[in-house]
Amino acid sequence: MIAPRLHRVRPSAKPPRRIAWAVAGVAVLLLGWQSLSWMMHRAVVASPGETVMALFEIARSGQLWIQLGITLQRLLLSLAIGCSVGLVAGLLAGIQERIRSLFEPLRWVAMALPAVIIAVFGMMWFGMGGEQAVFLVAFIITPVVYVNTVDGVRGIDPQLVEMGRTYRIPRRLFLTQIYLPGIALPVVSGLTLAVGIGVRGIILAELLGSFDGVGHSFSRAWTFLKTPELFAWVLAALALVGLLEFGVLKPLRRRLRRWKGGPSA
Amino acid sequence: MIHFDDVSKSFDSLSVLNDVSFAIDRGHTAGLIGPSGSGKTTLLRLIVGALPPDTGSVIVETESIGYVFQEPRLLPWRTALQNIALPLRARGYHRTDALQYAAKWLSQVGLQGFEDYYPTQLSGGMLQRVSIGRALAISPEVLLMDEPFSSLNMELRESLLSLVADIIADGQLSTLYVTHYLPEAMRLADSVMQLDCNGRLQTLSEEYRKKSIAALLRSISHEWTEAELLGRKTCNETEASPSS
Repeated sequence: MIAPRLHRVRPSAKPPRRIAWAVAGVAVLLLGWQSLSWMMHRAVVASPGETVMALFEIARSGQLWIQLGITLQRLLLSLAIGCSVGLVAGLLAGIQERIRSLFEPLRWVAMALPAVIIAVFGMMWFGMGGEQAVFLVAFIITPVVYVNTVDGVRGIDPQLVEMGRTYRIPRRLFLTQIYLPGIALPVVSGLTLAVGIGVRGIILAELLGSFDGVGHSFSRAWTFLKTPELFAWVLAALALVGLLEFGVLKPLRRRLRRWKGGPSA
Repeated sequence: MIHFDDVSKSFDSLSVLNDVSFAIDRGHTAGLIGPSGSGKTTLLRLIVGALPPDTGSVIVETESIGYVFQEPRLLPWRTALQNIALPLRARGYHRTDALQYAAKWLSQVGLQGFEDYYPTQLSGGMLQRVSIGRALAISPEVLLMDEPFSSLNMELRESLLSLVADIIADGQLSTLYVTHYLPEAMRLADSVMQLDCNGRLQTLSEEYRKKSIAALLRSISHEWTEAELLGRKTCNETEASPSS
């Protein structure tokens, strides 16, 4: 009798070990930053210690929370506009080939235009302030969400669509039971990308043409050569991305993926 | 309940159904056999209105049609219970009522306790049970089954055939059961029809069916193949329909 051959499968790193590696990565980053601050003038690179002190200072003064709140508000508004437009247009284009062809040149232009050019147009049309920042980010995010939505719709199993038609599922139920859950994962993946792009875009727009927000505060710190404060605002921007990525999008992705569980019965 | 009168259907220049006529009365079960590509699925699509006939007329006296597909076609992001509840909700049931009624059908197909399981967590036989539950939950007047057990092993196939046979025997359903296997069709159906590769339909006579059963009994030790039972295995490529 031939004995069954056993395959030794090397397990992927366990969670505590993965966390240890991530902590080691952060330590390397901090060490690199500290070394850089030793090598370069403190007016050019602030040390981690100075940055943390500056961060505490702007937090104590309340500026950190005020400016973060303003930027977050703009970011969420841009995301809401960009996602709504991208989602609706993507659903229509995913379902209807003709609409996809109609939108294709617009998508191409929206994705090909450099962010700075859109920012300039935003300032020309909306003036200085928050509106142009919202315009810029919504403009950048829309095609990202659109492309992911179209891919999501086209990725839905046509047999499920046929099943829905056979059972005469009404349009509203079709949308909520078949299309939206079917595209949820690719759209949230697109949203993760959009948040990263959005934070960069909003800070660029605030830096170029706004009187408040994290980007404007960064610009002020730069103008007055307050380097530790400038680095502190960079940390604030990273915290903003981290908040949305780890506080909202990651749990959302996990929730949406629960049906992809392994065999149980 | 279902009436086909001289129905023909082609895809481009490919003729799939040729002057097909038959009727299935209320409470009757018809079996439909035929090689792959002979137009069996096209015929079912004509019944549900997914395709219009080129010529002839298709009359189905009800809109209440349950359909068991070859593959279960369950929504992977919905639980077994929610999948059964879907066509009920499409018929205007409130969500809670639909789920309650769906639970009854899930239990009817032997899956009590699996309400919150997602399709990825169920085996092939269980998935097809959910699919049968979904088709029957709407209390259909017509039940269409398109080779529903073709991907299952003999043991599972046998247990699901018994389940379907009980359901058909109980109700006032008009059923069309499509299969590759003549014995399966003979077991469930009052009459058996055969589609050939030219898209022509003929009803197998009682004599033919009796002969087939006798042949089956004689050759109990002989492994029958689809080709032996049907005379051929599949329609050649030029005759195959794009949809079946």
